[in-house]
Amino acid sequence: MKQRATTLLLMLPALLLLAAVFLYPLLRYGWLSFHASSVLTGLVPVPNGGANWLRLLSDARFWTDAGQTLRFAVCSVALELAGGLALALLLHQPLQGRGALRALTLLPWALPTTVMALGWRWILNDPHGPLNAAIRSLGGSSYAFLSTPATTWFFVVLADVWKTLPFVALLLLAGLQTIPVDLEEALRLEGASRVQILRRLTLPLLVPYIALALLFRLAQALGVFDLILVLSGGGPAGSTESLALYAYLNAMRFLDFGYAATVMLATFLLLLALLGGGWLLLRRGGIERTPDRAT
Amino acid sequence: MRLLVLLWSLGPLLWQLRTSLLRPEALVAPLLEGSPWTLANYQLVLSGDPPFWRYLSNSALVGLVTTGLTLLLAVPCAYGLQKQRGPLRWGVGLGLVAAAMFPTVLLFLALLEIARSFGLANDLLALSLPYTALSLPLAVLLLRAAFADLPVELEDAARLEGLDLGQRLRHVLLPLLGPALASTGILVFLASWNEYAIALTWISRNDLLTLPIAIARIGGSSVFTIPYGAFAAATVLGSLPLLLLVLLAQRAIVSGLTRGAVKG
Repeated sequence: MKQRATTLLLMLPALLLLAAVFLYPLLRYGWLSFHASSVLTGLVPVPNGGANWLRLLSDARFWTDAGQTLRFAVCSVALELAGGLALALLLHQPLQGRGALRALTLLPWALPTTVMALGWRWILNDPHGPLNAAIRSLGGSSYAFLSTPATTWFFVVLADVWKTLPFVALLLLAGLQTIPVDLEEALRLEGASRVQILRRLTLPLLVPYIALALLFRLAQALGVFDLILVLSGGGPAGSTESLALYAYLNAMRFLDFGYAATVMLATFLLLLALLGGGWLLLRRGGIERTPDRAT
Repeated sequence: MRLLVLLWSLGPLLWQLRTSLLRPEALVAPLLEGSPWTLANYQLVLSGDPPFWRYLSNSALVGLVTTGLTLLLAVPCAYGLQKQRGPLRWGVGLGLVAAAMFPTVLLFLALLEIARSFGLANDLLALSLPYTALSLPLAVLLLRAAFADLPVELEDAARLEGLDLGQRLRHVLLPLLGPALASTGILVFLASWNEYAIALTWISRNDLLTLPIAIARIGGSSVFTIPYGAFAAATVLGSLPLLLLVLLAQRAIVSGLTRGAVKG
């Protein structure tokens, strides 16, 4: 009994800090979302019933952003999983200089998002960026990539994939390393081709790792903020604005804290519903095979 | 194949390097006379006010304090969690997974309120408090997995020898956790080095900015003529520490994720 009390005590400081930083904001948003707190009220919270939530329900910008955020997340994560798997398989091969290759491919993930977002803006610059220079040297004419919704959207996804694909690859590489070599060897002796080995052995054993990468990346991609803020500012004409960016703008630009809190809480609830649903589906689909040695 | 992968990963970075070494005029049009190469962009950035190394040291300070504080809190928590049984164990575990996945930008408004009411804004060391909290979930999960890998007999033997909990942790368990501590520490440091939303809203004094904010400011100081040369030089300078870290610690990062990732 005394030992149990000690182990609880050991966990307490960390759990208290976590509660202050994760739980308190959610409670605070819950409270703020039933108050008006903006320039109009002198930034003092005044109860306004459910006005913020009613406004949210009919706020076309919020729901447009929700759709855009979801589309961004699904496209980015799908590409990252496909590319990450390919990269992981490559990095798993016994290549010369594998350590250096792993480190160098990891580099985009290690750099600050905002810094590389600015880098992409320079690459896409009209007319001086290298991409336009290349187009011109091929006989085309400069294109304002970040002034057209479709191309802006494409490059926002590309920049996200470029940055986070190495992370997904690393997670899947971790999974590949847990697959016993003799299993693969046995299949090969039976005359299985590389594609057959991949389908019958590697992919099934990777399922828990793929599921983990999927959940983590979906959660992060649905909260995408700094990449979009710096690369496109949500433009052109709000066509790449994400929910988190909309919440940020409500707070820091429109100084409407009551509504900003409502948007943040609503984003969190949408995320929870989406991931909770996804998790249940995965759970049915075979994540129970997760090698959970810790429990 | 290898070349293609390298080109994809490093291409945009190498372009920054090239941009940082070119004279501003050479970025816009081919130069008619003289060499286009220059170190002037670096001089500009390094002699700015405050000089660029100030941002590097700000970020390094926050990163190191955050890493230390995170490990200090995460180690006992991971040990305690590993010893729990029943609903508390999976309850806390699930909460940690949820917190690790939480998009942290959604927290900034409430955290900013806290910072203002406690006078923590524009305080670099205070910045490491939310950073520690944001890193804790993953750190605890990784370290718990590492504790779970240690043989139970080891601690039992140490207990029979009469070592108390503190001694067992310090002299028996922690020395064996070296690699896990290193890889967890690196992940925490990277996350702190790159954080944007909280630093953006907490810090307004120019000499206290962390690196990502400072670089974004250099790049965004004018809407129409982004000083790309200076920005690229700043990017290169700000990336060098990370390049070194990743090159040196690649093995630790990969093995850290290998050990802990799925067991959470």
